[in-house]
Amino acid sequence: MPKQDSSKTKDNKLTSRRDFLRSAGNYTVASLSGAAMLLSDPKPAKANVTWEEHFQKNYRLMTDEEKQQAIERLETRYTEEYGKPVTVDGSPSMEGVLFGYALNIQKCIGCRRCVKACVAENNQSRGDEQQIEWIRVLRMEKGKFSEADRDQHGYPESFGVQVGGNAYKPAGVVLEGQHYYEPDQVPEKDAFYFPMQCMQCEKPPCVKVCPVRTTYRDPDGIVVIDYNWCIGCRMCIGACPYWARRFNWGEPNLPKEEMNPVTHYLGNRPRMKGVVEKCSFCVQRTRKGRWTACVEVCPVGARKFGNLLDPNSEIRKVLAKKKVFRLRADLNTYPKFFYYMD
Amino acid sequence: MTCYRFPQTLFGLCLLLFLITTPLHGTENQTDQECFESRDGMSQVKVEEISPGLVNVKCSSTTGGVLWWGDPFAGTIPMGDMDIEADYSTEEAVVKPREPELDKNKMLTICSMACHDGNYVPIPHSKSPRRLKMHLDTVPDALNLKHGKGNIWCLDCHHLVERTKLIDNFGYSISFNQPQKLCGKCHGQVYRSWRDGLHGKRIGMWDKGGKKRWWVCTECHNPHDVEQEERNSGFAQLRPEPAPNLPKGMDNANHERMHHGPHSGGNAHE
Ligand code: SF4
Ligand code: SF4
Repeated sequence: MPKQDSSKTKDNKLTSRRDFLRSAGNYTVASLSGAAMLLSDPKPAKANVTWEEHFQKNYRLMTDEEKQQAIERLETRYTEEYGKPVTVDGSPSMEGVLFGYALNIQKCIGCRRCVKACVAENNQSRGDEQQIEWIRVLRMEKGKFSEADRDQHGYPESFGVQVGGNAYKPAGVVLEGQHYYEPDQVPEKDAFYFPMQCMQCEKPPCVKVCPVRTTYRDPDGIVVIDYNWCIGCRMCIGACPYWARRFNWGEPNLPKEEMNPVTHYLGNRPRMKGVVEKCSFCVQRTRKGRWTACVEVCPVGARKFGNLLDPNSEIRKVLAKKKVFRLRADLNTYPKFFYYMD
Repeated sequence: MTCYRFPQTLFGLCLLLFLITTPLHGTENQTDQECFESRDGMSQVKVEEISPGLVNVKCSSTTGGVLWWGDPFAGTIPMGDMDIEADYSTEEAVVKPREPELDKNKMLTICSMACHDGNYVPIPHSKSPRRLKMHLDTVPDALNLKHGKGNIWCLDCHHLVERTKLIDNFGYSISFNQPQKLCGKCHGQVYRSWRDGLHGKRIGMWDKGGKKRWWVCTECHNPHDVEQEERNSGFAQLRPEPAPNLPKGMDNANHERMHHGPHSGGNAHE
């Protein structure tokens, strides 16, 4: 069992902007009287979250200097909290790059290694109390289709996916996607697997609904979140058609020894209770030229990633040579995550 | 170990796995911890600290598979020349040499020098496959070659007199570190797709001109058993990583396994 104690001790500490505002008592006067209340608050504020961090601007609107200060504050705090040198990167969007991702559903064997690699890279909460995984892999049953079925069956009941037939006489029904499959060995004979994560939509519904605009799309195509400004309203979770976003209902459990100290402000830096998180295409890696953790780990090489604006990139070759589709293209979200078959 | 949600029947297996894997995958940073990259048993890597606080790989505690590379280029060598100009010829392409993995017990080297030099043991003149009479223990899968549907034999791939090498169409030798040159003789389409960076796997830098480690054919496929019996798939089955935790208050995932369609009358699916 992974150790679970490391971050469970922060009882009285303020851990997010929302907590802070709540504790300040009155939302509307918080900005005026916040400082005074902070000084007179009988409960000590989270020991190492500074006054400046609570009152910092939305990252998107900060000057370069303010960004640098915010980053230094975090580096100091994380280094102290996790007992090792932690870096927080602030690399901006890459020039001339639009990130794209492609996944070969014919190759995927459903081994879930991408899920676990993502957790190791991106500092998600782990353990029984609160487990957060950004990638989910659905097991899809292969349909059976016989001539007898074609002619004999009536309406399907409420669940399942229709296989063949027509609106009045479906030939068969298979299971909907399964999350909790646990066979001894994968791939199984009667299944294929369908991994899903944030699609980095070009027209992201999550961005449209965010009331504080703390989630936004950068020009290189990555939809990011400034966790400090997240008020935890979870509108984006409701708006996302791909169930890509996760919420920290409790204090995240991130054991010190498992913490990945190479972080990005908008990516895998440790999150706090009450904020939303999701896949960021490993912004801390990809803006430095490195492949994402899930691309690297996939044992069958089903995952491809690159620059959509470079005509010689692998991702462009996939789009040119393979049979490609996007999930729920009808929603006009223009995902930058493609599925393909050979 | 995450054994608590396995069906009862798997408990024994899980316990056994626990016993087997605990000494190997028990704690992080243990020096003798070994895990596998793509092919279980044939792409092993030892966990090492490459700089203070940074390990070369992180492994799954349940399956022993590599989950994360601290240094994607550890233990690699240049890929070497390719016969056709392609993108990677302008990039720094590296591979992990296969020879150390294949020649762990030094059998390849010893056999080729001691006997199979083309003189002491003569080169067979007939290509028609025959059962091996010796060394059945040292050549795994030799009696049960599942590749080529009976149309190829050992010396179509292995060099006649240099047993530490593979063979190309002209009789020249190919290093075990570059199996793609051998496999590409027949599997041209896959070879082209691999050269394009589509088939197979690479780690390292995605950007143009960035350094990449390329996986070669035998790191994922078992050349003596590519058919994998009726599965007819080049990739051997693996044990999957554990499923996500069930939501609080949900005891099992049976709802996912229910067929509600016209066929089943709501039976749980096995
Ligand atoms: S997949 Fe969901 S979270 Fe990701 S950009 Fe689209 S709407 Fe937003
Ligand atoms: S690691 Fe690759 S094969 Fe395994 S589930 Fe993820 S995408 Fe599929």
